[in-house]
Amino acid sequence: MPKLTKCLSVAAIVLAAVTGAARAQQDFPTKPIQLMVAFPAGGSTDIAARIVASIAEKALGQPIVVINRGGAGGQIGWTELVRQRPDGYYIGFINLPATNTVILDPERRAVFTEKDFTPIINQVLDPGVIWVRADSPYKTVQDLIDAAKKSPGTIRAATTGILSDDHLAILMTEEAAPGAKFRLVHLEGGAAQFKEIMAGNIDVAFDNVGSIVKRVQSGEVRALAVMDDARSRFLPDVPTMKELGLPTVISSSTRGLAGPKGMPAPLVAKLSDVLKKAMEDPEHVKKLEEQGLAIKIMIGDEYEKYFAETHSKAKKYTEWAKNRPPM
Amino acid sequence: MDTLAHLMAGLTAALSLQNLAFALIGCILGTLIGVLPGLGPAAGTAILIPLTFKLDPTGALIMLSAIYYGAMYGGTVTSVLINVPGEAASVITCIDGHQMAKQGRGGTALGIAAIGSFVGGIVATIALVIVAPPLAQVALKFGPPEFFALMLVGLCLITGLGGRSLLAGLTMAILGLLIAMVGIDPVRGAPRFTLGIPSLYDGLGFIPVVMGLFGVAEILLAIQQPRRQVIKTDLASLLPSREEWRRSIGAIGRGTGIGFFLGLIPGVGAIIPTFVAYVFEKRLSKTPERFGHGAIEGVAAPESANNAYANAAMIPLLTLGIPSSPTIAVLMGAFIVNGLTPGPFLFQERPDLVWAVIASFFLGNILLLVLNLPFVGLWARILHLPYAYVCVCTLLFCVIGAYSLQQNAFDIGVMIVCGIIGYGMRKIDMPIAPLVLGLILGPFLEKSLRTSLEMSAGDFSIFFTRPLCLTLLVLAGIVLVASALRLQPRQLREGSTT
Repeated sequence: MPKLTKCLSVAAIVLAAVTGAARAQQDFPTKPIQLMVAFPAGGSTDIAARIVASIAEKALGQPIVVINRGGAGGQIGWTELVRQRPDGYYIGFINLPATNTVILDPERRAVFTEKDFTPIINQVLDPGVIWVRADSPYKTVQDLIDAAKKSPGTIRAATTGILSDDHLAILMTEEAAPGAKFRLVHLEGGAAQFKEIMAGNIDVAFDNVGSIVKRVQSGEVRALAVMDDARSRFLPDVPTMKELGLPTVISSSTRGLAGPKGMPAPLVAKLSDVLKKAMEDPEHVKKLEEQGLAIKIMIGDEYEKYFAETHSKAKKYTEWAKNRPPM
Repeated sequence: MDTLAHLMAGLTAALSLQNLAFALIGCILGTLIGVLPGLGPAAGTAILIPLTFKLDPTGALIMLSAIYYGAMYGGTVTSVLINVPGEAASVITCIDGHQMAKQGRGGTALGIAAIGSFVGGIVATIALVIVAPPLAQVALKFGPPEFFALMLVGLCLITGLGGRSLLAGLTMAILGLLIAMVGIDPVRGAPRFTLGIPSLYDGLGFIPVVMGLFGVAEILLAIQQPRRQVIKTDLASLLPSREEWRRSIGAIGRGTGIGFFLGLIPGVGAIIPTFVAYVFEKRLSKTPERFGHGAIEGVAAPESANNAYANAAMIPLLTLGIPSSPTIAVLMGAFIVNGLTPGPFLFQERPDLVWAVIASFFLGNILLLVLNLPFVGLWARILHLPYAYVCVCTLLFCVIGAYSLQQNAFDIGVMIVCGIIGYGMRKIDMPIAPLVLGLILGPFLEKSLRTSLEMSAGDFSIFFTRPLCLTLLVLAGIVLVASALRLQPRQLREGSTT
């Protein structure tokens, strides 16, 4: 008899736990959700995150609290994200391929891998762009490549940081145009690039459309090419690298939401559903468009596949970057 | 007149009810810090940074700037009434200010100090408005090698002027640079000196470190100070007589000029301008024997110089990103915490914010005049508060503040350890200023050095082939050699104790 009682009580506990968990998922969310941004308050990821949060929380019926865990190029925040319980109450922004290169760079000693995340939904895909000063001698990408072939390692090309998507984009360009070599200068971001280009300390900058679109429109700088499949809506006159005969040069910076690994599928579905509606909201669309940021919603398998593809692509170029002399 | 348009826009922003309230709160808190002996402006600003976390950056910086110049203002009350400077820059005011109080003219001493500070602050801010935009324009042309050299000059000035011994100064500067290296390498992304502790991946937080080095350390020191008697003096008649006015006007003008120009040079510190202004007045006076016995010029000149300095010192910060004193370094830290790097960039990227902060200086100086003239009696009362309670409350505030930075208890530990270190360093007379400057400039110095070398593909000649860069490097060398040979004026050496 005692055996049976034990069995029954175990069964009862298991049953309670299972149904409890199921109910918890059904009722989700019953308390505020924390949304981690791995960059300081006021940055463009943060601003867009707060817009999404403010719209989505109305549909969700619980507040979404944006918390900033900036530092170490996102590594601090992502480390914190993967350590959370996968119960949906702590989710965060990941930035591909920056999240991937942090994982892939052995020097970083990241405590997480690509398997430690549950991708939920992608929000923005900001294509890469090559730009120069308005009075630069380089009128086209071809001018630039010719010059980089003629005197390799003398043309100073700025990234927005080591192993940023822009750094990888330079490597892709060198790969697509054999013989061309740039001198890499790792700057902190778009503002630093603009200053050094204008002061003549840098010859060409690799960045993303969102951070330079206003300056291209005002004529302060010239965009040579966009590194995407199709032209950017924000820069309709700028050709893609594909059009210029360099179809392998496709680079972008994306941001989307993810949770720690092991999040139950119903939770992911509920969150991606609510967040998708928030991202389609006219207010969200309008505010992102003002910043020149292209919304690209990817959920479920599509986003997981994109994550995996980005990871393997980043892996190739990260290894290459680590072995390439800086010139 | 682009500047004027910007200034007007800034003034509109600063005059919004919210920002005006922040400026007022900042002025009150700053004056309070100034009044409390033992707690200097650097400590006060550092301790109060966490208060501004939830504010928008403009409001936060308006409030912190107000705390800064409010503290520079408030020290006078303590100097005059108990002959102990409320903050180091009011040391010289003790001499004649306290004598005036003993003669029953304490009110007048505080009155002229408030008026002199007001004039100094306003004139320096006007000069800032005129000088800063073109200077920022020039600085925008600087490349990484020039910025590297410029920061080196700033660091050398502070090291050279910062203490009795160049060796001590250099040791502390290098220690600051080393502490700044803790965390993830800004270029390669590799962790350095992190000992595997995740909290150290993002480096030792500047704010908890300075809260410890200044806040906690100064409280520990203040506990050991003997209590002094508050002097009873007439605080009813604040306005000087016609004769006193006549003596003061010139002194205020000269003090303002001296304070302003010395404020432009990094490393001079807050005390030296007051010394120079005082000595200058005494030399110029037909009756130098009155100095030390309650001469009103001896209060007017240094107090004007003090506040002109405080506002002028914002120029190198806002235009070049070079902090010229530890307090300004703390203020720079506050900018950075708010996601803004002071420098020529900021003028271009966030003119709305920069000009709102500058415009708030005008309002702040007016607020301080109002706070100091009619309410001076109230501040005097604060001196009667039992110091034990003040110390405990301040310490408690530090602990809460350090924790609130990132809700990380690790920061409390950093602050307490730095507090003990800061206390020890003051006891063995090691200068703190070079350490703090090294700490805040370290990441920028490293970044510009490495970017320069990336630009030149590793060739160091980039620093010697660019004329401006070379000039700055030579200047840095001269500063170091001169301070090694002790060529600087005697007053500078004596004055620069903080």
